[in-house]
Amino acid sequence: MNPVLEQIYSLVVPSAPYIIVAYALIWVALFGYVFFVSLRLGRIETQMSVLEDTMARRDKTAGAVKAAAEADDAESAS
Amino acid sequence: MRLVWIRAAIVGAVVLTTVAFLLAFFVAAPAPFGEVRIPAAQVSGAQLGPNQPVGVEGDNMVFLRWDMGQKIFYFHVPVAEASFLVFLFAAVYGGLFLAKRDRKWDTRSRIAMEVTLFFVLLTMVTGVIWTKWAWGVWWQWEPRLTTYFIMTLLVVAYFVLRNSVEDEERRATYAAVFAIVAFIDAPISFLITRVLPSTHPVVFKSGGLDGWQLATFIIAQLGMLLFGFAVYELRLHEERLGERLEVLKNSLGG
Repeated sequence: MNPVLEQIYSLVVPSAPYIIVAYALIWVALFGYVFFVSLRLGRIETQMSVLEDTMARRDKTAGAVKAAAEADDAESAS
Repeated sequence: MRLVWIRAAIVGAVVLTTVAFLLAFFVAAPAPFGEVRIPAAQVSGAQLGPNQPVGVEGDNMVFLRWDMGQKIFYFHVPVAEASFLVFLFAAVYGGLFLAKRDRKWDTRSRIAMEVTLFFVLLTMVTGVIWTKWAWGVWWQWEPRLTTYFIMTLLVVAYFVLRNSVEDEERRATYAAVFAIVAFIDAPISFLITRVLPSTHPVVFKSGGLDGWQLATFIIAQLGMLLFGFAVYELRLHEERLGERLEVLKNSLGG
């Protein structure tokens, strides 16, 4: 092998595990963090939509009951 | 709409850090790491390529040795500087809480501290990996490492403090004061290598980056700051949604 390249590779190879670990760690940590926050966010959004649906249904039922009661009152008054 | 901007910031951060990664390995020149002497008879000019000798000593040609481990710098330093900046925001939000007594500033300060902790841990881990390669040891009690280690302990202590106080108002007040006092260590850690003798490299003191090295560093720094901003906003959005969820649950329960 070319002696210059041999010297260069002798420096590249021993440092490679350190470089790979450092870079991999940063990328895995960054994406892991975003992934877990997004996961929790998705869970909260699902719960929100379920609760909002429940509330909307409850309001609708309450509205229907109220309308029925008003109609009943009007009928008894006449 | 807010979520669209957060996603755009995350994509921007991914693009910038990926570009920086590619530049670091394919464009930015490695830093010289001492010299190597090779007998001139063994050196074939045609095979040298860009690695030209820097001098001649007797029968030997002198070449620069290149340090690939230095590539860790392009992400280690941006992560560290992001940690200082987000820490500053945590302290400022703490101050705003103390001034206005509005819980939203406490929430913002806590989230900023959480992002700071994330960056601080990444800085510590990538730092010790580089230290092992460059100095041959995992740790050295020199000024920069020691003050940064103290900063790490302070950020961890912030969360210990929060978890140890039950009353919400008192917890927020103590945490705000602690964040402000703890932040004093950040400028000390940042500047200490410029004041005290230290084995930790100070790249910008000597102006040691050429054009592409500097461009790579700036792109990585922008990417990391954008990432910090995106994660902070994402966590804030999550926190607000969580609060709305609690209100909804309570109104249903009532």
